[in-house]
Amino acid sequence: MSDPINIRALKPGTRITLADGAVAEIVSNPADGVWVFARYLQSPRDPALVGQEEMIFAQDVAAIEPPK
Amino acid sequence: MATAHNSGYRTGLVDTKTGRISREIFVNDAIYAEEQEKIFARAWLFIGHESQIPNPGDYAAARMGEEQVILCRDRAGQVHVFLNSCRHRGMKVCRYDEGNTAVFTCPYHGWSYSTDGRLVGVPFFREAYHSTLDRTQWGLVEVAQLAIYKGSVWATWDPAAPPFLEYLGAASGFLDLQLDGWDGREGQAEVLGGVQKWLIPCNWKFPAENFSGDTYHNISHRSVDLAGIGPSGSGRRDMSELLAGRKLHVCIPDRGHQSILYLSPPGEEVRAAYQNTPVVAEYFRHCEEERRKRLGDKARFLGAPGEIFPNTALLSRQPRTMAAWHPKSPHETEVWRWFFVDRDAPSEVKNFLRDYYVRYSGPGGMTEQDDMENWNYAHAASRGTIARRHPYTYEQGIGTAVENFEWQGLRVPGRVVDITDVRSSEEPARNLYRRWAEFMEAQSWDELMGWRRNERAAAE
Repeated sequence: MSDPINIRALKPGTRITLADGAVAEIVSNPADGVWVFARYLQSPRDPALVGQEEMIFAQDVAAIEPPK
Repeated sequence: MATAHNSGYRTGLVDTKTGRISREIFVNDAIYAEEQEKIFARAWLFIGHESQIPNPGDYAAARMGEEQVILCRDRAGQVHVFLNSCRHRGMKVCRYDEGNTAVFTCPYHGWSYSTDGRLVGVPFFREAYHSTLDRTQWGLVEVAQLAIYKGSVWATWDPAAPPFLEYLGAASGFLDLQLDGWDGREGQAEVLGGVQKWLIPCNWKFPAENFSGDTYHNISHRSVDLAGIGPSGSGRRDMSELLAGRKLHVCIPDRGHQSILYLSPPGEEVRAAYQNTPVVAEYFRHCEEERRKRLGDKARFLGAPGEIFPNTALLSRQPRTMAAWHPKSPHETEVWRWFFVDRDAPSEVKNFLRDYYVRYSGPGGMTEQDDMENWNYAHAASRGTIARRHPYTYEQGIGTAVENFEWQGLRVPGRVVDITDVRSSEEPARNLYRRWAEFMEAQSWDELMGWRRNERAAAE
């Protein structure tokens, strides 16, 4: 199991990979350690989510994408 | 409905006709539990002040009876009061005294609520709930009614309660003295610093009764008067402006609110006050002149300790504070005290007042320490088996209150006892407990709004 990610430290603009393989970009972070607001960039499981903004649960954040 | 005045709350416990009140209402567990339902779940309660939450997303902790609530301003600027308890398993969703946030997130399972109370985040919503949970049904519990009066925020859990101004009745004048500016402009008050909070080992009604207008206990503040903590370097308040006229107990009988009020003679010169520093003294002299120009004859009213039923204390002049006596148990009260200044007062004035306020009030304040000694030991000494057999007496001034009281051309609302010469009466306490008993007996708000029945009868 990989180390847990401290989502409080994630800044807007950061790209994250989610547990279901989706990729999203953080829009804002309430810094509660539980949620971030992010916009879907890719969503293989449910393509309809791409472009939508949702609250992402900390346990669903699988990885931080390296900056491009 | 049989009124408490005639029958008493569970006959023998509260008898305002003879002025006898059982100690049971202060120390009995069952009565205390009933109060939470009959009084604190129905009455309008003081929550806080808008100046505590000036910006969208601002929040401040508050209480309603035993329960913790969140006073907050949503992202659109609307003020809300929510029960501080997650709808999933009840954990507090806000664990800070104040701050600014986009969401209130429960730390237990992660449910998250927007600042307007909507449930916006449910972990594993798609997976575990299969997207079927109706989030619109599970927002934060919001009060049934909320009112903002000159910046002060009030709320009730009861949708059947009358609108706040109707609940206040003529006591709105007491609040005006508290919240309007020293120069008479409307709603100039702001909270100075944070809210002081502390616990005292007594029933909440001891301080509520005291602030209803107990002038009889002045002897217990003798040491403070001798120490001279007042804003002019002597006593604990400036008295010359107060003692020029009449000192009154003013009770709003069908609402349960009461206050001491001073009534100055017309054309009275502005008396010197706040003499400790020239800047502060000049500021208050100027404000008092402006107040008289602005308010005319109404400026003859000067505020003093009072109580909005059930548990909000007023003190509009020296020091200018409000307090809420939050019940914690029959034997413990959590006191919250707010200190007020005019928002555009000079910083030197605010700083001076801060020093004066805290040496007077709060857990470190000399006058409030005297009060707490009295309340706490009186409560402890009333809990025993033998003590409970012996009621307190509230006979002072029975039958002396009058309606339509008028002095030198100015009429005073409510039932009034002029205590200028008689020094004291217990009419305010009887008014408090009469209303308390009515709340405890009534099954609904319909029974508690006798004034509506009287108005209908008068119209027919």
